[in-house]
Amino acid sequence: MASTTSELAPRLTAKQVDELSQRQMKKHDVAIMLLHWFNALVWFLELTTGAAMLTSSSLRVAPEWFVRMVEGFVGGKAELLRFHIAVGIAWMVVFAVYTTFGFRTYVTKEVLRREISLDSDDMQWLRIRLLRMLKRSTTPLPPQGIYNAGQKLFAVAVYAMVPIIMATGLIMTFHLFGTGMVGWAAVLHFAAVGAVLCGLLVHVYMAAVFPEEKPAFFSMITGNVNELYAFRHHFKWWKEMRGDNFEPKHEQNEAVK
Amino acid sequence: MARYAMVVDMTRCVGCQACAVACDKEWNVPLGFARTHIQNTGVVGTFPRLASAFRVAQCNQCDRPSCVEACPTGATARGVDGIVRIDRGVCIGCGYCVDACPYDARFLNLDTSTADKCDFCAARLDRGTEPACVATCTGHAKYFGDLEDRSSEVFHMVFDLGARRLQTNDVAVGPNVYYLGRKADVDLVFAKFPPHPPRSATAREFWSRIVKPAVVAAVTASFAGQAIAFFYQLNKGEKEEQEGKE
Repeated sequence: MASTTSELAPRLTAKQVDELSQRQMKKHDVAIMLLHWFNALVWFLELTTGAAMLTSSSLRVAPEWFVRMVEGFVGGKAELLRFHIAVGIAWMVVFAVYTTFGFRTYVTKEVLRREISLDSDDMQWLRIRLLRMLKRSTTPLPPQGIYNAGQKLFAVAVYAMVPIIMATGLIMTFHLFGTGMVGWAAVLHFAAVGAVLCGLLVHVYMAAVFPEEKPAFFSMITGNVNELYAFRHHFKWWKEMRGDNFEPKHEQNEAVK
Repeated sequence: MARYAMVVDMTRCVGCQACAVACDKEWNVPLGFARTHIQNTGVVGTFPRLASAFRVAQCNQCDRPSCVEACPTGATARGVDGIVRIDRGVCIGCGYCVDACPYDARFLNLDTSTADKCDFCAARLDRGTEPACVATCTGHAKYFGDLEDRSSEVFHMVFDLGARRLQTNDVAVGPNVYYLGRKADVDLVFAKFPPHPPRSATAREFWSRIVKPAVVAAVTASFAGQAIAFFYQLNKGEKEEQEGKE
């Protein structure tokens, strides 16, 4: 797996590395961390119960034993459907609360400015990253903001699919717009969840398994990352937050990286 | 275990619709829909050789029900007693089963937003009473019983008197409603109201043939990609710099 480090960031001396590695930067508010883990729990529960609900042989995606196990865990088929709907509605309520009360602080600041706005560096990063994975380029990766372009791309997909998942879920739950619509809503619900799941697998691997992104994973627990990680992986963000107070060394012979 | 069946004696059915009314009343079926109703072939032939017959239309509780496979959530299932039941708590009202029934015996109940159909009055059977339509039939044309019980009327009518199932070579789903009567009348009804091959709703077809394979392929590819990356990581080892100590 290619590195996600921004290789165009200035080089550091050993002293600066030491200094940066001992300092922390705040990356996430508590509200965002809570939402993230609530979201993770919802996805786990909804994917599990949703997969167990499909029992028709031509639509089934989970093995028989899994279906029986999940049904047994919640108490039966009807309880499974009720549980899936209840968790889904709780999810929508929480999102509605965040969107309403956190519109100024999180929707505009976090989502629109940080999570889904892909700039020219991001497009370049995606192009180079893809070519490097195919061993077709050695060009250094451009510096990234608080989220790298891969994370932003996943966020764009999620924000495109989540409204579809919610709307189709509501159509099926409350039988809106007639029965023909319910039949198509089920298909769209499945397709949109599938699209997010593809990205979710990458997201989980990059966050929990990929070694270079370990600090990003722990930042979702502590809210902080060490500055060395921020400097190397999210240089534009680091510069925005700390750049004025820190002068990196540019001499190649003193550099350690 | 019981194997429930119904036999309609066409020589006794006068087409009065009392069965349909009793059923509607018993199950509060919304206006415009019916779990059972009478179909008339109309008058056929030329004078003086005219013929006409009635068919009692309802769910046939098929041995190989196409509605069960059509249902995505398993809300429709065939019980060990042969009755095909709908679990309203599991039905999402997608309507796939309505299209799948070769006898058009299902409908979407707008009051409950779920699929609906005859289930031989399973709730009445549990209470030890016979189906409402059988109890109400003015001409005593409907018989209900257990085909596993050799002493039952339905066993006698099916295996001794030759009551026939309404099915064709193309649509052999094993219906458990049988028709008894003059051969000409039964043939007329069968010719006039043949079952159609099970249809698959466009949405369901799109789901099973395109969306599901595409999603499974994409998720598998994504998982495989992460697996390859992980093996690469295992092979390469993890660098010290992650801890910020270089």
